[in-house]
Amino acid sequence: MSTRTITMEVLRYRPEQDQEPFFQTYTVPCDPDWVVLDALNYIKDELDRTLSYRWSCHMFVCGSCGMVIDGEPKLGCKAFLKDYGDKIRVEPMANFPIERDLVVVIDDFIEKLESVKPYLIPKEPRTIEQGEYLQTPAQLKAFKQYSMCINCLLCYSACPQYGLDSSFVGPSALALAHRYNMDSRDVGRKAREDVVASHEGIWECSFVGACSQVCPKDVDPAGAIQQTKITSAIDYVTSFLPGGNR
Amino acid sequence: MSRKPYVRQMSKTSWFLTHSRYKNYMLHEVTCIFIAIYAVILIVGLFRLGQGPEAWQGWLDGLRSPLGIIFQILAFIFSVIHTWSWFKVVPQAMRIQRGEDFVPGNLIVGVHYGVLAVISLFVLILAGVA
Repeated sequence: MSTRTITMEVLRYRPEQDQEPFFQTYTVPCDPDWVVLDALNYIKDELDRTLSYRWSCHMFVCGSCGMVIDGEPKLGCKAFLKDYGDKIRVEPMANFPIERDLVVVIDDFIEKLESVKPYLIPKEPRTIEQGEYLQTPAQLKAFKQYSMCINCLLCYSACPQYGLDSSFVGPSALALAHRYNMDSRDVGRKAREDVVASHEGIWECSFVGACSQVCPKDVDPAGAIQQTKITSAIDYVTSFLPGGNR
Repeated sequence: MSRKPYVRQMSKTSWFLTHSRYKNYMLHEVTCIFIAIYAVILIVGLFRLGQGPEAWQGWLDGLRSPLGIIFQILAFIFSVIHTWSWFKVVPQAMRIQRGEDFVPGNLIVGVHYGVLAVISLFVLILAGVA
């Protein structure tokens, strides 16, 4: 198999010795069918074992290898070298602090994800003896798209709203809240409302739509947020009607 | 070893210049300014109408002046961009499920353009143009 030599410019940051990140250049002999993650693995194995980055499954399921490749948030395992030129620039995901090299600190996201209660809140808990919660294919279809999120955080990297104001709950967490709100087995919408319908929640989103454009699983977080805005607005208006809570 | 995460700040004044998708977003946001100004001009027109024939004629003359025409052409172009860029994303916000399927996005967008055409025609007929 013929090899191709590419130049990889990788943003490095070694907290114990660097005051700020800098680009380090590597020359990598690549197989034609490699992805960017393969090239990084080559660097790690053959050229520079100090390079740090996250990865696991190599098949865009785990969501670990999010990075910015030539200015675009991508999964390293889904970015084929054949789609790039001979010089590729790799940076850590934007809008997150850099822990080391391509590894970013995602603690903020984890807290936000927890805050939207991303799990089933059933009306009445069922015992194993009572059997499963039944659901029709149509009911499944209503939320399935939003359940495909792998928490890769490319959406946060692309979202200028989150970059400008990190108090924003953000695309993925809000899409997952929507996923459970849309689930026929779930009654947790009110419990999620304080976070989801707050200023830092859906109303902080100005519908740039970048999150949906970069999502590797076609989750469409921007769509989920706009749909939640409509539901929330209807809730607000109906709360003034007789029988409402205002 | 103590941690020392490095924070890269996004520029609050030039972030939208860093990617074409952000520029497109700003374009469709900025276009609303022209629509807002045009709406204000129409409201002013209502007031001028209430003030009598001379005031109304003055307002009409203003619209027919070269500056008025240039502004209206610009406002029209920007309103087309605004409409196109917002209608394009409507299917994301308006997800209509029928059984196990969703109404196709291009149908939803098409209906929006259809309604826009009907309302525009109605307004043009009211104005005596069509």
